[in-house]
Amino acid sequence: MTPRHVPREGDHLVVIGFGPVAWRLVDDLLPEVEAGRLRITVLGDEPSPAYNRVLVGEVATGKHAPADLDLVDVDDWTARGVLLRLGTRAGWIDRAARLVHLEGDQAPVPYDLLVLAVGARANVPRLAGLNPDPEAIGHLPPGISVLRTLDEATRVHQVVADGGRVVVLGGGVLGLEVAAAARDAGCAVTVVHNQPWLLTRSTDSAGGALLGGRCAGRGLVVEAGVRARAVRLGEGRRFRALVLEDGREVLGDVLVLSVGVSPRTRLARGAGLVVNHGIVVNHELEADTEARVFAIGDCAEVWCEEPGCGSCRTRGRRPPSGLVGPGWDQARWLAARLRADLGEDPGPLEPLAESRQDVVRLKAEGIEFVAGGDLAAEPWDGADDGRDSVVWADSARRAYLKVVVEDERVVGFCSIGLPRSGAELAALYGSGEPAPADLAGYLFPGTPECGPGGAAGAASAPEATLCRCAGVSVGAVREAIDAGADDVDRVRRATRAGSGCGGCRSGVEALLAAIAQA
Amino acid sequence: MAPTPTPTHCPYCALQCAMGLLPDPGPVPVRVEGRDFPTNRGGLCRKGWTSADLLTHPDRLTAPLLRGPDGTFAEVSWDQAYDTWTAAIRTAQQTYGPDAVGVFGGASLTNEKAYLLGKFTRLALRSSRIDYNGRFCMASAATAGNRSFGIDRGLPFPVADLDAAHTVLLVGSNVADTMPPFVQHLAGARAAGRLVVVDPRRTATADLTDDGQGLHLQPRPGTDLALLLGLAHVVLNEGLADSSYVATRTSGAEDLRRSLATWWPERVEGLTGVPAGLIRDVAVMLAERPRGTYILTGRGVEQHVDGTDTATAAINLALLLGLPGGPDSGYGTLTGQGNGQGAREHGQKADQLPGYRSISSDRDRAAVAAAWGVDPSVIPGPGLPAVALLRSLGRPEGVHCLWVNGANIAVSAPAAAAVEEGLDRLDFLVVSDIFFSETAAHADLVLPTTQWAEEEGTMTNLEGRVLRRRRALTPPAGVRSDLQVMAAMARRLDAPGSFPEDPAEVFEELRRASAGGRADYSGITYAAIEAGEAAYWPWPAGGTPTPRLFTDRFAHPDGRARLVAVAPHPHRHHGEHGPVVLTTGRLLEHYQSGNQTRRVASLAQAAPEPRMEIHPRTAEQYGLPDGGMVRLTSDWGSATARTTLTEAIRPGCVFVPFHYAHQGAVNRVVGDRTDPLSGMPEFKGTPVTLTSLPEETP
Repeated sequence: MTPRHVPREGDHLVVIGFGPVAWRLVDDLLPEVEAGRLRITVLGDEPSPAYNRVLVGEVATGKHAPADLDLVDVDDWTARGVLLRLGTRAGWIDRAARLVHLEGDQAPVPYDLLVLAVGARANVPRLAGLNPDPEAIGHLPPGISVLRTLDEATRVHQVVADGGRVVVLGGGVLGLEVAAAARDAGCAVTVVHNQPWLLTRSTDSAGGALLGGRCAGRGLVVEAGVRARAVRLGEGRRFRALVLEDGREVLGDVLVLSVGVSPRTRLARGAGLVVNHGIVVNHELEADTEARVFAIGDCAEVWCEEPGCGSCRTRGRRPPSGLVGPGWDQARWLAARLRADLGEDPGPLEPLAESRQDVVRLKAEGIEFVAGGDLAAEPWDGADDGRDSVVWADSARRAYLKVVVEDERVVGFCSIGLPRSGAELAALYGSGEPAPADLAGYLFPGTPECGPGGAAGAASAPEATLCRCAGVSVGAVREAIDAGADDVDRVRRATRAGSGCGGCRSGVEALLAAIAQA
Repeated sequence: MAPTPTPTHCPYCALQCAMGLLPDPGPVPVRVEGRDFPTNRGGLCRKGWTSADLLTHPDRLTAPLLRGPDGTFAEVSWDQAYDTWTAAIRTAQQTYGPDAVGVFGGASLTNEKAYLLGKFTRLALRSSRIDYNGRFCMASAATAGNRSFGIDRGLPFPVADLDAAHTVLLVGSNVADTMPPFVQHLAGARAAGRLVVVDPRRTATADLTDDGQGLHLQPRPGTDLALLLGLAHVVLNEGLADSSYVATRTSGAEDLRRSLATWWPERVEGLTGVPAGLIRDVAVMLAERPRGTYILTGRGVEQHVDGTDTATAAINLALLLGLPGGPDSGYGTLTGQGNGQGAREHGQKADQLPGYRSISSDRDRAAVAAAWGVDPSVIPGPGLPAVALLRSLGRPEGVHCLWVNGANIAVSAPAAAAVEEGLDRLDFLVVSDIFFSETAAHADLVLPTTQWAEEEGTMTNLEGRVLRRRRALTPPAGVRSDLQVMAAMARRLDAPGSFPEDPAEVFEELRRASAGGRADYSGITYAAIEAGEAAYWPWPAGGTPTPRLFTDRFAHPDGRARLVAVAPHPHRHHGEHGPVVLTTGRLLEHYQSGNQTRRVASLAQAAPEPRMEIHPRTAEQYGLPDGGMVRLTSDWGSATARTTLTEAIRPGCVFVPFHYAHQGAVNRVVGDRTDPLSGMPEFKGTPVTLTSLPEETP
C-alpha cells in the first residue's frame, strides 16, 4: 500500500474547479502561498474567476449586476503567488504520474496535492426536442437555459429585462426564486412542476397548498402535478412553448430549466476514485488512500466508515446538499488541515463536524418560506415511532408551521409566513440543541417586530417602578402627588422621578390625571 | 447669600452628567443637584443622585494599610508605606529586571492621573508594563476607529446632534440602564418610529422601541458581525449606497464589495436568527434618508474575540451610507467608563504615549521625550495588553511587583479566579482605592486615595469633550491624591523629569506633551473650560476646538476613510461546557465592579445580588426554578447567581451582571480569550454549564 502523503513545504496544490467553494479554500490558504510553503494552481473552466453562484438567479432577474457576485481580486491573488488558469478544462487525471491532463493542446499540470472542487451541473430533463446529454448543455436551443453560470443568467436576463414571458420548469427553490423575481420585474411567469405541490422536498401537502396560494397571490401561474412532455421550437429553433403531458402548451419567450443538479464525477471516475452519487470521500475529505486527492463542495459525498465516529452523528453517507454552507465548511476545514500539516499552527484541528445546514430559505419577498430536515411525520401517525410533530395553521394570516421532533431534537420543520418562527426554528434545528418540551413557544404569529418577549405593560401596583433611572416607585409618586405636587416638575423635585432620561413623564402625567379625576 | 454649588460632573459613567454640589449639614456633606448641560440637561440617574453617599462612608480608607508577617493589615505612616514600596520595587527589579514592576490603571482616573501614571511607569519605574481596565471596555472600537478613520474619538460629534436624528441604529448598547439620561437624545428617532436596537436581550433600551417607536432585532449572541455584513450586503447590492461619497471619501470599496458578496440576508438569517425580511427592512430604513441617520455601537459589539472586526463592520455600513462626517449623520461608539475616552489617550495603554501617540514610532517617542526633558532611549517600548499583563503576574519574565490604581481586577477582569491566583503569586501588590476592594484583599499595601468631589482635574466625556472635575470638599486627613503619591515615589526612585502634585501643573504638561498628537489638548486650558468653552479635542494651541470630526477629511494621510473587508472566523471551542451561552453586562443600579455602588444603601437594596436572566424554556430544560440558586461553570471557573425567568432573553442564552464579588463574580466564569487586534476579552460569549443548587439553609 502506498504510504499516506503528508503535505510538506513547497508542495504544489492543484485545485480543479473555481466556484465559491474553491474560492474559499484558496482564500484560506493564501498565507501559505505568500510564505512560500505551498504553490497553488487553480484550473477553472469558466472564463471568469469564482463568483457567488448562489446569487446567479438574481442576476437572471436583474436584482443583481454580475459584478455584485465577484469574490476574487485576481491581481491580489496573482501578486501573492496563486496561479490562476481560467478557461482551462481538465481532461483526465493520471494519479500514478500525479498529472492533470488538460483539454486542448496544453502541457499536463503536475501536482503533489489535488482538490476536486468541480461542483455540480444542472440536470437537463428528458423532453422531446431537447438533447438530454449533460455534456451538451451549452448547445441548448436559443431561449432555453439552465441557470448555473453567469453566462446563462445574463442570457435569461435579456428576456426578463424586455418584460418577456418566462416559463420555469421545476418548482424547487431556484425555480421558484427565479419565477418570483421575474414576476417582480414585471414578467408574466408560469411555473410547471411535476409534483403535486411546490418545494415538494421541503414541505408537506398543507404547506404546499398554502405556498401555491401565496404564489398565485403574487401573480404567478403555477401548473403543479403535471409533467412536461416536449418543447416546441419556432423560427431559428427558438423556444416557443413548453408542451404538457395533457397536450396544453405554455407559451413563452424563455424557458428556464430548474430540475436539480448532479455532482460532476467524470474526472473522478476516470481517475479510478470511488464514486457513488458524488465523489466519495472519508470524513477527512480524502478521496484516495494516499491522502493526495480531496473533494469538497457539491461534487463530494462524505462517507464515514468508522462506527461510532465522534464527528459524524450518523454513520453512513452524506450526499452533497446542493447548498453552499456545507461546502464552505469543508473548504475551511481542509485549509486548516493543510495549514496544520505545513507547520503553520492555526490552533488545534477539530474534526469536521457534521452540521445540519440543509435549511432551505426561499429568497422571495412576501412568501417567507423556511424549512429543513425531514417533515415526514404526521401528528397522529402513532406514538411508537419516536417522532412527534406539531402543526399550526392559520388560514386568516395564511401562515403555516410544522415541526417534527425525535429524541428531543428538531429533525424537520417548515415555516411559511412566520419569519420570526422560521428563523428561530432554523437556528434550533441547525444547532442540534435539545428542543423545548413545549414547542408552542416557537410560535410568534405576529409581525417580525414581535420579539420572543414583549415588554410588560405599564404596571400600576404601588411597588412597581415608575422611573427606572432614579428608581422611583408608583407609590412614591402617588405619595408626592397626595402631598401637593400637582405637576410633573413638582413631582420630579419631590421624588426625582423623571430626572434621568425623562421617559416616565407620560407615566407621571397619567398618575396626576388619574388622581385629579378621583 | 445662598452658597453657590460647585459645578462638577458625576463620578461614574462616560456621559459625565453635569452636577452641582452644595454644602450640606450632613450626614452626607454635600447635596447633589442636576446641572443643565447639553449631555444630561439636568438629568441624573440614581447612581448620580446617590454618589455623595460615599464621601463619608464608614468603610472609607483613611490611612495606608500594610500587611504584616501574620497576614493582617495594620495602619502605617505614608513615609513607611513609600519606603516599603520603594524597597519592594528595587528588590523586584534587581532580581528580575525593570519589567518585573508593573502598573494596572483605570479609566475612571482623571486625565491628569492617567497621563502621569503612564509617565511614572516609563520614567520612575523604567518599566514597559502598564495597561488598564479600559482594555476591557473600549479597546476594540478604538482599534477599529484608528484603522478605519485614522483616529479614535468615541463620538466624533456632540451627543446633542442626535436630538435631530430621525433614525438611530444602536448595536449592543443598553443605554437605558448604563447611562439613562442619554435616552433623552433618542427622543427624535423614537418619535419618528425609527430607533433600531440590536441586542440578544430584550433590554430596557430595546423596550424603547415599543409601540411603533422602532424595531428590536434579537440576534443570537456573537452574531452581530454577520448581521452587520448582511445589512451592508443589502445596502450595496440593492443600490442603496452613497456611491459618490464612497468614491470620494473612502478607499477599499472593491475589496469590501467582494467580501460582502457572500452575505445575502437569507444566509445571515440562518446564522443570526434575524428574519431576512427584517434585515432588508432595516437596511432600507437606514438608507432611505441618510441625512439624520446615525449608527452607534457599544460593548455588545466589542466584547468578543472578533470585536474589532465587528465594530469595523458597523463602520463599513456607516461609510457605505455616507454617514460619517455629515452635518447631521454619523457613526460613533458609546464609551463606558467615566474617563474611558481621556484615559486611553495619554499613555496609560501599553502601546501608547500622550496625545494618542504610538510608543513604537520614533517620531512620537522623540516628541514626548522632548516634552518630558529626557532622551527618547529612556522611554521603554510597548508593554503587554491587560489580559497578557495579568497572565504574567508572578511568572518568570512576568510582573512581580504590581500597583493597581483605579481598578478592581479581582472582580472586573476575565478569568477572575486566575487573576486572583496571579495576585497571590506576586512578591508585592499595592492597591490604591477609596474602599477596601476585593483586589485590595490580596494586597501587601493599600493606599487610600481621594474621591471625585475632593479633587481637581479634567475628564474627557464620550464626545471627546474635556470637562472640569472640581473640588467641593477637603479630603479626609490621611488620604493622599494619586498625584501626591507619584510625586513622592518619583523622588524616592530618582526619576528623571517632573512629577508635579498640582493637577493644574500636570495638565499644563499634558497640553505640551499632547501638542501635535492625534488627541491634541494643547489649546485647552482650565480657564477656557470654566468659562464654558466646549473643549472638544483636537484643540491645538492657537486653534479652535473640534466638535465635529471628519467634516472635510478623515485622519489618514490621504484624508480618506478605509473600508476594511472583515468576516467572522469560526470560533473554536474545545471545552466541555455549554451549549448555553453566557453574556454579561451592567445594571442601572451598579457601576463596574460595584466596589462603590454596592456600598450605597439604596442601590444595594435595589439590586443586592447577581440575578441570572434565563428564558423559561431553557430553565425548564435544565430544571432551574425561578428564584433558585444556580452555579455557572465554564472552562475557566464557576460562580453562582439566583435565576430570574424572563422571556426577555433568547432561549439558550443567559445574562448575569458583573458587579458582584466572590462567588457572585461572574467574571470568574468568563474566559480570557482576546481579540487579536485590540487585546479585548470576550465577555459576551462564554459556553457554560448550569447546575441547580439547593437553597442554603438559614
